Amino acid sequence: MKRALHHGAGCALLLAVVGLSACSGGGSDEDLKVYRHSEDGVPTNLDPLHSATVYANVVVVNAYDTLYRYKYLERPYELVPNLAAEMPTISDDGLVYIIRLKKTGRYIDSPVFEDGKGRTVTAHDFVYSLKRHFDPENTSQGKWLWEGKIKGMKEWVEAGADYDEVVPGLRAVDDFTVRVELARPFPQFVHTLAMGFSGIVPPEAVDAHGRDLGTKAIGSGPWELTHYSRTQVRFEPNPNFREEPLDLAYEGYEKAEHGDLGIEHLDGKAPPFVDRLEIDFIQESAARWASFNSGREIMLSGVPVEQTDAVLASKDPVTLEEEYAERYHMDTGPEAGLVFTVFNMDDPAIGYNEDPERQERNRELRCAMRDAFDWEQRNDRFYAGLGIVFPGVIPPILEEFDEDLSRESVTHNPERARERLEAAGWNADNIPELDYGLVTSSLAREMFEAFRGNMADAGIPRDKVQAESFATFGDYNRALRNSELSIMGYGWGLDYPDAENVLQLFYGPNAAPGSNASNYRNPEYDRLYEKASEMMPGPERTAIYHRMNQMLIDDCVGVLGLTRSRVTLWHKKVRGLPDRQVLGGFWLRFVDVEEVTQGEGAL
Amino acid sequence: MRTLAFLLQRIATGIPLILGVTFISFLLMVYFGPDMTYELLGKNPSAEQIAQVRTQLGYDQPFWLRYGDYLREMLTFDFGSSMSTGQEVTALLADAVPISLALTLPGFVLGNLLGVALALAAAWYRGGWIDRSIMAFSVVGMSISFIIIIIAFQILFSSRYGLNFFPIRGWDMSSLGSYVYYVTVPTLSIVFVSLGYNTRFYRAVFVEEIGRDHIRTARAYGAGAGAILWKYVLKNSMIPIITRVMFSIPSIVIAGSLLIESYFGIPGAGKLAFDAVTTGDQPVLKAVVGVTALLFVVVLVINDLLYRVFDPRVAVQ
Repeated sequence: MKRALHHGAGCALLLAVVGLSACSGGGSDEDLKVYRHSEDGVPTNLDPLHSATVYANVVVVNAYDTLYRYKYLERPYELVPNLAAEMPTISDDGLVYIIRLKKTGRYIDSPVFEDGKGRTVTAHDFVYSLKRHFDPENTSQGKWLWEGKIKGMKEWVEAGADYDEVVPGLRAVDDFTVRVELARPFPQFVHTLAMGFSGIVPPEAVDAHGRDLGTKAIGSGPWELTHYSRTQVRFEPNPNFREEPLDLAYEGYEKAEHGDLGIEHLDGKAPPFVDRLEIDFIQESAARWASFNSGREIMLSGVPVEQTDAVLASKDPVTLEEEYAERYHMDTGPEAGLVFTVFNMDDPAIGYNEDPERQERNRELRCAMRDAFDWEQRNDRFYAGLGIVFPGVIPPILEEFDEDLSRESVTHNPERARERLEAAGWNADNIPELDYGLVTSSLAREMFEAFRGNMADAGIPRDKVQAESFATFGDYNRALRNSELSIMGYGWGLDYPDAENVLQLFYGPNAAPGSNASNYRNPEYDRLYEKASEMMPGPERTAIYHRMNQMLIDDCVGVLGLTRSRVTLWHKKVRGLPDRQVLGGFWLRFVDVEEVTQGEGAL
Repeated sequence: MRTLAFLLQRIATGIPLILGVTFISFLLMVYFGPDMTYELLGKNPSAEQIAQVRTQLGYDQPFWLRYGDYLREMLTFDFGSSMSTGQEVTALLADAVPISLALTLPGFVLGNLLGVALALAAAWYRGGWIDRSIMAFSVVGMSISFIIIIIAFQILFSSRYGLNFFPIRGWDMSSLGSYVYYVTVPTLSIVFVSLGYNTRFYRAVFVEEIGRDHIRTARAYGAGAGAILWKYVLKNSMIPIITRVMFSIPSIVIAGSLLIESYFGIPGAGKLAFDAVTTGDQPVLKAVVGVTALLFVVVLVINDLLYRVFDPRVAVQ
């Protein structure tokens, strides 16, 4: 009898717990259209000054307005006005930009404003927001984009960075017109105005919150940030957001390509279309996958590498296994970025050397290492065979990608590597010891061992390539900036869809501590870079880009390169085309959801 | 009066402990911790910008000056702002610590209560099948990785492959129902993992106690198992139990449970501390270390007071 009672009590307890939980439903709002997705990283700071990562950018470009954005569906990416009323008027010499703003931009209601009502966004706010990046009191991760490019900014900083003082090259002509005068042509300038860094912040918010703006967002974007934690952000539609009906044809809609997205019914309607956005930040891939599989999130921005064999029926072309295809949409394609390995040209053991003969031998050593490297193996083992190996640094997603470029530099050829070493007088004894930098993780260690194994196949003893481990990416970055390593793994996400963004990684004046971690200095390359960086897109500029790309290959600056492929899954009831590339997240204003209750998408 | 003097004496002896802990940990932070400069810089920094950020972070100040600032911050309980998010550190802790407490407390309490109960049973039936079964279960619990348990419980309770009763991640304490909804699976995971360790520890304590003469005498006089275990064994074992429980408290309050918080997406103090360690967010790290050291001193004092309550011999000494 007692036993039965105990058993009954246990059951009652379990039922009570489940009942309580069921009643609460986890706080779900059944009448609301809620869209949820997860990101594989965490934005540490939501201030546009710090929107350096895709994770921060997804939040920033939805909470704040930028002057421009990318078309929702058009590929390659194409800029369109966002808060700007039209594309800028650019002077013939490419130095002066006149940008008119829409008069309908309004900030969210917030106590930082008079009467708590969001006011109209003005050109003065844009000027203020850009000036913030140069204020010595601030730490800005986006300043480098405009450094030395805006006329009079340097003088403004030197004079004390008084916001009331006018910067000649950055002025509000009137409340809704901005005039930007550049010190030299910068054709990518408009692209930078589509980045989260250029998000427009009201001075009142900075005055009220100061550094706390890192966890708050008071902007005029389509979404109002209602909750921030280190594991989740929540948005609700900004009621003050301007009425801008979605024009599918204008956004690049093609029936054949986008017909199955189920977005036709949104044509002509003003976004946002859902009642709430929830973005979970889940760094652990197993947890992220489990959460998506449970149906909590309805979009997954990247299938974990370890799951690809289970999820994909084929990799070329990429197709889903039936059980996944029944439930999910899938989009795949090359990522807007690349991974590669560079040699430190400032290291006399492998790069530039006072002795011209040794310098030439060093070049042969670098080329031999490049020939020895097995990109296909790297792709199969670490990127599930979904990456795209390509020569040079201009990735396939860019219009300037050179399809005709020889693939010799990415072909695993240990025989040729051996011949190079022998011809240059290198042998197992006289090859220098080289440091290979990595951030401590089992994956990075495996990559290093694979690299070392490739080198050993070409006759470079394993003990000649030593790992230099760093506990954090910050420490690794410091070693890069201080030019402490011989060989460095590198990943680069495109800030804008222009090859200039990757070619600047090898521009001499950008050498350490700048972005040119290889410290490559080639006067001809630099001259071409300077010339091309002032040219508008066109065949002539593309030809220069190709020449520069070839120089990097010929000089064996690194082992170049691979672009990863993304596989995005989303629930059939989500109406939209997810894309977070090029530091984007603009598509979230257009997302729609058929009533999906939590758990419905579960497998 | 004597108790007050005792208290003051114990607190005074805690000061060198706090100084030692903060000094050594700050030394490690400064000379061996991650450099945050490069996390805050843009992609193409100049030497001048690097120097500017280092100045903003205070890295260019002498060690002793920085340590002095740290002690002042400890006294005023104002640790400044996080280098990553810009939030006030005290506000960050005020947000995270209650979540960690609410997350780990049920598992901690249940784990200890069940551990004590199972250990009493195992000790009483020492060598028998009950003892062996409980110990086998404990060893199994101790042997399985926490991550495996978390994933297994998520599949069992939060996926379509299992019961799918609870969420796989998230946190909400706006109502009791929501709290129970989100805390159940993490609690079960914590209980499962801690039970093995607790049971083995408490069993060893109880076995020693049961072997004492007064227990044998009580048994000889015909006292029942319940009375013996409750009145004599448990009561006389309170010193090691108190010690174990009390010294777990600082880690519950501050450290939380990193794995639980990471895998269940809960913004508690464990993840806050871990992120601060890996990114080198010194203001947060200083606060976490300092508050933990303070809590240990408080726990030491309370521990000693409780010893005096449960064992009068301590007071006499």
